[in-house]
Amino acid sequence: MSTPSSNKSTMRDALTKPQGFRFLGLDFDSAIKYFFGGNAFVAVVVLALITIFLFKEGFGFISQNRRNLQVYRQAGLEYVDIMRSRMDAHTKLGRQVNAARLNLFKDLQKQGKSLDEINAMLAPLDEFSGKFSDAAETLRGLVSDYGDAAATIKQSASEIQDRLEEKEMLIDAGKRDQAEKVVVPVIDFPSARKVILDSEPQYAELCGAMRSTLIALINTPNPGYEMIPLEVRSRFKTDTLAFLDYLDQGKSELTAWNPDKPVGYLDGLASFLTHPEWLTASFWQDWYGVIPLFVGSLFVSVIALLLAVPLGVSAAIYVNQIAGNREASYIKPAIEFIAAFPSVVLGFFGVAILGETIRAISGWHFLSWISFFPIAERLNATTAGILLGLMAVPTIFSLAEDAINNVPVHFKEASFALGASKLQTLVKIIIPAALSGIIAAVLLGFGRVIGETMVVLLCAGNRIKIPDFTEGLGAFFQPVHTMTGIIAQEMGEVPSGSIHYRALFMVAILLFLLALGINFLAQRIVRRFKISIG
Amino acid sequence: MSAHIFQEKSSAILTVEKIVFWLFRVATYVVLIFSAYILLTITFKGIGSVVKLSPPFIDIPFLTESPETLHVFQFEGKPMQLGDTEYRQFTATRTVNDPNESTVAHSAGGIFPCIVGTVLLVVGSMVIALVLGVSSAIYLSEYGGSGRIVETLRLAILNLAGVPSIVFGLFGFAMFVIFFKWNVSLIAGWFTLAFMVMPVIITAAEESLRAVPQGFREGSLALGATKWQTIRSNVLPYALPGILTSSILGIARVAGETAPIMFTAAFVKTDQLPWQGLAHVTDFFFRGVMALPYHIYVVSSKIPQNEFTERMQYGSAFVFLLVVASIAMTSMVLRTRLRKAYKW
Repeated sequence: MSTPSSNKSTMRDALTKPQGFRFLGLDFDSAIKYFFGGNAFVAVVVLALITIFLFKEGFGFISQNRRNLQVYRQAGLEYVDIMRSRMDAHTKLGRQVNAARLNLFKDLQKQGKSLDEINAMLAPLDEFSGKFSDAAETLRGLVSDYGDAAATIKQSASEIQDRLEEKEMLIDAGKRDQAEKVVVPVIDFPSARKVILDSEPQYAELCGAMRSTLIALINTPNPGYEMIPLEVRSRFKTDTLAFLDYLDQGKSELTAWNPDKPVGYLDGLASFLTHPEWLTASFWQDWYGVIPLFVGSLFVSVIALLLAVPLGVSAAIYVNQIAGNREASYIKPAIEFIAAFPSVVLGFFGVAILGETIRAISGWHFLSWISFFPIAERLNATTAGILLGLMAVPTIFSLAEDAINNVPVHFKEASFALGASKLQTLVKIIIPAALSGIIAAVLLGFGRVIGETMVVLLCAGNRIKIPDFTEGLGAFFQPVHTMTGIIAQEMGEVPSGSIHYRALFMVAILLFLLALGINFLAQRIVRRFKISIG
Repeated sequence: MSAHIFQEKSSAILTVEKIVFWLFRVATYVVLIFSAYILLTITFKGIGSVVKLSPPFIDIPFLTESPETLHVFQFEGKPMQLGDTEYRQFTATRTVNDPNESTVAHSAGGIFPCIVGTVLLVVGSMVIALVLGVSSAIYLSEYGGSGRIVETLRLAILNLAGVPSIVFGLFGFAMFVIFFKWNVSLIAGWFTLAFMVMPVIITAAEESLRAVPQGFREGSLALGATKWQTIRSNVLPYALPGILTSSILGIARVAGETAPIMFTAAFVKTDQLPWQGLAHVTDFFFRGVMALPYHIYVVSSKIPQNEFTERMQYGSAFVFLLVVASIAMTSMVLRTRLRKAYKW
């Protein structure tokens, strides 16, 4: 046994002397604390790294796209596109005549006429449509000639770019003398595009000729023209007159066009955010406009939510309020189990079975009164939307069920005590009390579907075009492409560092910001509208 | 039967109530039936690729071979379907003279390398994610309190959970594949998947840590144990089962993801298994692997849907579904059992 004095000294030692283990001035316990804290901090670091890397790779897009647009303008492609848009408008107009012909053809076929007979009967109409189409012959020639010229200038401009890059690479590699030898051709844009600017008087002349031809076509009696049903004809007439104004308007646009108008960095970004086309590897001009992809993503998500919100919320209400304990204990894990379905398997199901089934159903005879049935594409927005909806159900279900579960029982009891029926209690008390939670659940479900990749990549049809909403409900059965889908589809094939590569990162940045925004909004809603329970 | 005074009398309100409640019921069952339909279709069509009616009852080649090109042709009036290896042996001695002979990529052989790759990806990423996730959870629940820093941490975790998986894929590609120059490799996939699943694990682990009663900690601290000793001996052991079951859910998620590994770890086809032909041991980590989800994506999008390709398509989907579903099922069963077992 030790003496009291030595005991005292050990006590003092224990209190004053540092303990044995020290690491960077920390004792063992603090070291462990900081180790755990450091790990927790990884979440922040990862979020920061994601932001940094997405922006690092994506940001170069803006200057690259600016250069892209600059060449587009300086080489005169933009100028030719003014004429080209008129040509496209004319072609679109011609489609009205073709559609009318198709309808007449079907009618005659129903009357039991043979093919030769029908063709003979429709000959005047064909003649009319031929004349209409021929009216744009000069315009087409103009676009084609000057288009070639502009494309050539662009070609040499991109060659300059290639050489410059080659030079840069050689300098980076330390081969200065070799870099000196790389010849960068110089082009004089103003004189090169002089040829193109010459088209202006030709265009003015063409406008006059086209006006007189088209006016003559729609105003003088013509057997072919009269074959078109009156209703279609009057629309065609107004559209043609509008087209002629549009054609004339081109004259002032061509005059006002300024090749030296500077393209700013903001234009590089604006073109990404607002241009209605995503067009890559085109012979003419590449466009990286996110709009069709964004609309596609949104459209598919909306379809998914239209299905998932009623189903998920209903199921949550049913399980929490209506079903018996036993039934609930089976349904709850079953719905939660859906969350474990791998998305690629669902996508495969869509490709192999669901798409075909939807198309088969649309071909059923008694549904033929629906104008857009039978549908043409097996893989379309609805096919993807249904499966995405299924994927969103568990998310919405779990969160909504939680929200309903958190409504205090005495709210319900009070309502019953006042003589309200079960349904009244549900609609007037429980759902309003849980509403903020339900809305947050829907938002998070939305976040889940808009970020989902495999199902849309496999089932949405992958056509990069804004769905034609003028077709009404038919738009639901058009193929679309989405933001997530385009990244997954094109990332593997683009050379890293190219403008296309960076454009995909820009899409990812947009997705990332969207996800953060949705999360933020969901949290705000839950916090702000939470009914104080007490 | 005599009417009870509280017996519900039929009234318009009650009828409406009944109808509305039935609508809720129908909606619930629509979801369940549709998902059961998906499950059953893939099972019925896919089970034939894996199970046979004759001994050994399991289609061993499908589970042990690599995917191959399928040759479809007529030989002496008989329709033949042979994988590439068999086809070469077959044509070594005979000449096939069929004008309609066709080949389909990826449709013969088996999915062994894909299973191996998936297992490697899942195991590696889970190790990383568990270390990071559980440590973070311990910090948040035991040390954190409710300061500014912890708020930031929680916000970051919450937001990380909402980031689309393809964005994780792209981030992994930019950081690990390009910036760190790891190329398309196992290790790049590990980190990408681990970061993706980390929020799930943190949330789940924190929940089970918080479920351990405060008294356990207080008792230990009162006896003079340090914070770490308390955590190690009085908190972690009781939270561990909960942490593990929840992380199984994370495993199901990691195994099921395709988008993040598309350009960070997965190859459409490699000739060698991950451990074959290594010049150096570290090469193991820096090579891409084949993975089941990516394989399913390739066979469902790049080859046509017909009778020759069905075996591979439905077979892989079935195996994959089986793997993921059993992981998820285990976690669910364990969770319910543990909830009953641990009551304080």
